[in-house]
Amino acid sequence: MTLTAEPSTVALVSTTPVGPPPPFDPELAPALRIIKELMPPVNADTLPVMRAGVPGMEPADNQTLARGGEFLVEERVVPGPAGAPDISLLICRPASASIPTPAIYHTHGGGMVLGDNRTGIEDQLNLAQSIGAAVVSVEYRLAPEAPHPAPVEDCYAGLVWTAEHADELNIDPDRIVIAGASAGGGLAAAVTLLARDRGGPVLFGQMLLCPMLDDRNDTPSAVQMAGLGVWTQADNTFGWDALLGAARGTDDVSPYAAPARVTDLSGLPPAFIDVGSAETFRDEDVTSASRIWQAGGRAELHVWPGGFHGFDVMAPDAAVSQDARNARQVWLRRLFAV
Amino acid sequence: MRDLTVRLDALDPEAGAALRVIAYFDDLVAHGAGLPAIVRGASILAACPAALVDPARHVRVRIGVGGVAGAPGPRDPGWPWTAVGPDGELWLERDDEPRPIDAMVLERAAAAIGSVDRRARGRAAHGRADADARILLDPASSAPARSAAAQRLHLSPTVQVRAVATASGMRIEPAGDPVPAAGRAGIGPAGSPDELPGSAAAARLALRLTADGPPADPGPQVVHARDVGGLLVLASAIGPETAKHADVVELEQLAGEHPWLLATLTAVAEQSSLRAAAGVLHVHHSTLQERIAHAERMLGWSIGDPAGRFRLNLALALRRLHRTAADTDLPADGY
Repeated sequence: MTLTAEPSTVALVSTTPVGPPPPFDPELAPALRIIKELMPPVNADTLPVMRAGVPGMEPADNQTLARGGEFLVEERVVPGPAGAPDISLLICRPASASIPTPAIYHTHGGGMVLGDNRTGIEDQLNLAQSIGAAVVSVEYRLAPEAPHPAPVEDCYAGLVWTAEHADELNIDPDRIVIAGASAGGGLAAAVTLLARDRGGPVLFGQMLLCPMLDDRNDTPSAVQMAGLGVWTQADNTFGWDALLGAARGTDDVSPYAAPARVTDLSGLPPAFIDVGSAETFRDEDVTSASRIWQAGGRAELHVWPGGFHGFDVMAPDAAVSQDARNARQVWLRRLFAV
Repeated sequence: MRDLTVRLDALDPEAGAALRVIAYFDDLVAHGAGLPAIVRGASILAACPAALVDPARHVRVRIGVGGVAGAPGPRDPGWPWTAVGPDGELWLERDDEPRPIDAMVLERAAAAIGSVDRRARGRAAHGRADADARILLDPASSAPARSAAAQRLHLSPTVQVRAVATASGMRIEPAGDPVPAAGRAGIGPAGSPDELPGSAAAARLALRLTADGPPADPGPQVVHARDVGGLLVLASAIGPETAKHADVVELEQLAGEHPWLLATLTAVAEQSSLRAAAGVLHVHHSTLQERIAHAERMLGWSIGDPAGRFRLNLALALRRLHRTAADTDLPADGY
């Protein structure tokens, strides 16, 4: 397997003057030190190692995901986009549901280049369990081997299949929330746009966790946090280059690849957006929420002070991580009125 | 982003773990963590619940599974624990085999908790506090920045503080705090937080009047700016670039040839009587008188009369000032 992603030659300079990086949360700072020891920067050299996984942190097996019989767990191979290979859906349904349940359709994170449909699944199951929902997590093709639009089209195809097979899965097709973290958040936002524009499944909400939205990668926060925290501007450049190649940063980038490029923000389901104040994505995510409000839409935005990218996953015990997880659960309960 | 749960308990339990524990609590303190965060740190590192009960500070917190805070129950006598303050207790709810790292986690957590105490008394921790201290010490800081920094450090406008210059940096401490026993220190005059830049400038000059201590560098290790009067003016004018007066040149040359000379002259200059000077030097009174006579012959002037004592004191002070630059820029190191 050869992995190629041309390094960017575009200068990444913000025109907005920025101050020093915001300080990391007191509890996240010591965790970050350890994370930086474990996690190399993401680039063509380190990608094969990172894809091989971190020993001792293997993805959860079906038995673990079943949680002592709470969930029925299966992996289903379903048709992919027209003319493309099949895709695999990890389906976790509440075992004891008598009536159709809400569902979280999950697009995993990993910078468009890493991860599988079990990445981040435990957090989604926690959320699902709190509202009695199912989780369907899609295995999409990764860049750079499969550049745009392969990942987003795979994700969309999985959503369409899920909605069409709602009966069989005991899912209420009118109550599907799409959710994803990082690149998965970007894909979730993009699939939401596709569903609207193609007249596809009507989503009940979109949960965008520290989403990767803007291929231009030049916001004040991207510049301010360069080299610091997790998923730095350089890592982000690698991810977007892998997905878009030479088109990254040009006028040719579709909003289905980089949802920050969208001009029409009307007719979207309620959005939940969260992000750390000390991460690359802060400003593109805050801007995204603002644009939804400015367009007359519904969004809830949480900016967690001193949070680095993925802090809630990598330092789950920290007080701010607990609060961040809780805010998601509270939003879901409010959304579904349960 | 990979789903990368930090599982500290799974990490190398040997040498690496100790360093990790130290760095973990240092980072917590440096970033201004509160008591629950420190107890949570102990819980994360030990991979079991941890609790702090401290009646003196009205703190009762237990961190359970997943970092969730709650109320502690009674401490099981079998659990590893350590005292915190006069009647506080910090423990790990270790029901399985004790781990070698437990004692270190408790010790470092207790030390971190102690540092939070100091901050609560008005001394700030490192990290953010460094930046705030720098703002307060810098004469160029604006009034609003100064006021905000003082507030973050819990310094009221009327509290009496002083700047302390050491070889490692400049810090702020409450007036009246005992001066640390080890190392050179220049102590600025006490005043309100607004007066800290002046205190810092004086502390910096006072530091230049200090010495490393006998035998190589006899002289005071700690100098209070308020006690040395016009020597501060001298300190601001004299540095390594300034031409040395003949008295200094001669003193240094003779000191190189006679190892006893500097210590003897310093003791004579500092002490109120020859008897006291002999005591400091651990020599017999008559031995000291012989050395003084020897020194006077070499120098060519008397050090027994008031004018000679003044000349000697001045030469010793000048010698110290010629060693360090007048504008030595010391980093603020917090507190």
